[in-house]
Amino acid sequence: MSGSREDFLVLDDVKTHFDMGRDFFTRKSKGVVKAVDGVSLTIKEGETLGLVGESGCGKSTLSRTIMQLIRPTSGKIWLEGKELSAISDRDIRAVRKNFQMIFQDPYASLNPRMTVMDTLSEAIRTRHPDAKGDDLIKRITELLRKVGLNPAQMKRYPHEFSGGQRQRVAIARALAPEPKLIIADEPVSALDVSIQSQILNLLKRLKSEMGLTMIFISHDLSVVRYIADRIAVMYLGRITELGDAETIVDDPLHIYTKALTSAIPVPDPNAEQSRERVILQGDQPSPIDPPQGCNFWPRSPVEHDEHMKQTVPEFAEVKAGHWVSNCPHCVEAN
Amino acid sequence: MALLEVEDLATHFHTREGVVRAVDGVSFSIDKGETLGIVGESGSGKSVTCYSLMRLIPEPPGRIERGVARFDGQDLLQMGKSDLRHIRGDRISMIFQDPMTSLNPYLRISTQLIEAQQTHRDIDTKSALFKAIEALEEVGIPDAANRVKSYPHEFSGGMRQRVMIAMALINEPDLLIADEPTTALDVTVQAQILDIIKQRQERLGTAVILVTHDLGVVAGNCDKVNVMYAGQIVETGTASQVFYEAKHAYTRSLQKTIPSLQEKGQELYTIPGLPPDLSKPINGCAFHPRCPFPKTGHKGTERPSLKDVGDGHCFADCGFCDSSGSIEDVLAKGDLADTALPGEGAEA
Repeated sequence: MSGSREDFLVLDDVKTHFDMGRDFFTRKSKGVVKAVDGVSLTIKEGETLGLVGESGCGKSTLSRTIMQLIRPTSGKIWLEGKELSAISDRDIRAVRKNFQMIFQDPYASLNPRMTVMDTLSEAIRTRHPDAKGDDLIKRITELLRKVGLNPAQMKRYPHEFSGGQRQRVAIARALAPEPKLIIADEPVSALDVSIQSQILNLLKRLKSEMGLTMIFISHDLSVVRYIADRIAVMYLGRITELGDAETIVDDPLHIYTKALTSAIPVPDPNAEQSRERVILQGDQPSPIDPPQGCNFWPRSPVEHDEHMKQTVPEFAEVKAGHWVSNCPHCVEAN
Repeated sequence: MALLEVEDLATHFHTREGVVRAVDGVSFSIDKGETLGIVGESGSGKSVTCYSLMRLIPEPPGRIERGVARFDGQDLLQMGKSDLRHIRGDRISMIFQDPMTSLNPYLRISTQLIEAQQTHRDIDTKSALFKAIEALEEVGIPDAANRVKSYPHEFSGGMRQRVMIAMALINEPDLLIADEPTTALDVTVQAQILDIIKQRQERLGTAVILVTHDLGVVAGNCDKVNVMYAGQIVETGTASQVFYEAKHAYTRSLQKTIPSLQEKGQELYTIPGLPPDLSKPINGCAFHPRCPFPKTGHKGTERPSLKDVGDGHCFADCGFCDSSGSIEDVLAKGDLADTALPGEGAEA
């Protein structure tokens, strides 16, 4: 899909490959991990894009590539019309404050020896190097209020907070440098259901109040459906389906998306009894030398012919705003 | 007679900060071929209940204070160490959340599967290996005859969990305790694993205790459900009783927090506050500080006991709140803002 470069974030055929090097004795190549293998995407300002897929499908590598923590092997990335992939390694640090991440485990992502105040001041100073004194305190207070924490607790250490509160601190830190894009990598997976809903509500509120643009990575489609405007389903380094959050979950086209949605357990015994499952065969293949052609064929319940085992299916807009990797076997199996 | 009958089980941890009543008076039973789900938040005592049955509680600081767990007429909690060893892994086996930590990384899968059989049976190594390959095939590991010689690290997470299931079921136990068996796995693999457990259960008539925090997993796989809160069962019944006719305020609140059950535009309900500190005595209903229903009755000092409301559906009726109305009405009146949660700040 060809987005115009004026869009907020544009990815054009981005590939991130990792060379595994050569075997020391035989000098044979150990292969190339094709973690991200040709992803094109546009994200509009203020939009939340849900990124779903099994572990190892390249979700995290893609988000790191967008942040330029890993430079792409090929392809181009534009942020607000500026080509990030062309910026030299020396100048890239200045760009990175535009991106912030929220991680899965707030226990691991906060420094246990820094108070909330220290953590947040450090993050604020990346954007406002001169902030100090009352101005700094005012900014911290405002941030803590925004994420629903009591500003009186700013002198506390992470261990003095509960899991849900700690994730709120992590969110405050992500907001502190006034980023343009937030990448939330499984932000609620480590939390209990009752706390999960608090964090989802908070992210949703921040999104509507501050117009945050967010990439929300998760393996839980029901969570993503709730929070995201659009969903991209990733499989083995490529996007297999992209569209409206509701459409993707309730009316998917690709058989892989169907398998994913049918695998989510629904808290309703009768619905669980009656529903049809698409059970996939085996695990996701290794991204080292992934299958040719429609990369889903080894696991698909529908037999693929030789042609589709060789040719990469076109990523086509089948309905308005609904894109799918248009393999006749995977899509027409409906 | 039920296969396993647990009565008034209490497991406490004696820490420097005081006595933590992790499990405090839990009773339930499970029949042959049945699946019992145990749900609850972390710290509600669901895992400690299972570990107590297997006597895997580290002592000290833990101690099983009281209770009876009658398994086929024998009390698991009073049994000697050597008798216990005959039962563990043979008649009762367990699957844990993380398969990497429960397999020995230094030993081939074949060695571990053969050991599991030879500990309990008089079987020669050759036929044990044959049975091991068969067991791996049954849980859907391709090319089992060659893969059996692999080490645990050569398998993916989903495959490792299959190996664990194969090992747990190789002696055809009467009871399988699965503690969050699919939490670390992808949804597609989770569906496969739950499917395998179900198939094997149907064939062998194994009873399964499935511990999980995912209400969806419970809905699809369990005949009976125990909902645990603060170390006690607050509601128990068949899956449809607990899901469609939930009585306890906690069960009903929990259902309101799940994104898949709510409309997209709607704000999710959040249960205010935190679970109680189990090292402090609890007066009356443990859930009352977080309960959305109006308080009309008398609080009392005892924690409420389970009351039967028909067909084996029981819940801990505290008589303190008026939970007769629909939860939607109560929540519509209440303030749903997620900020400034009472209790949360006070606890920290």
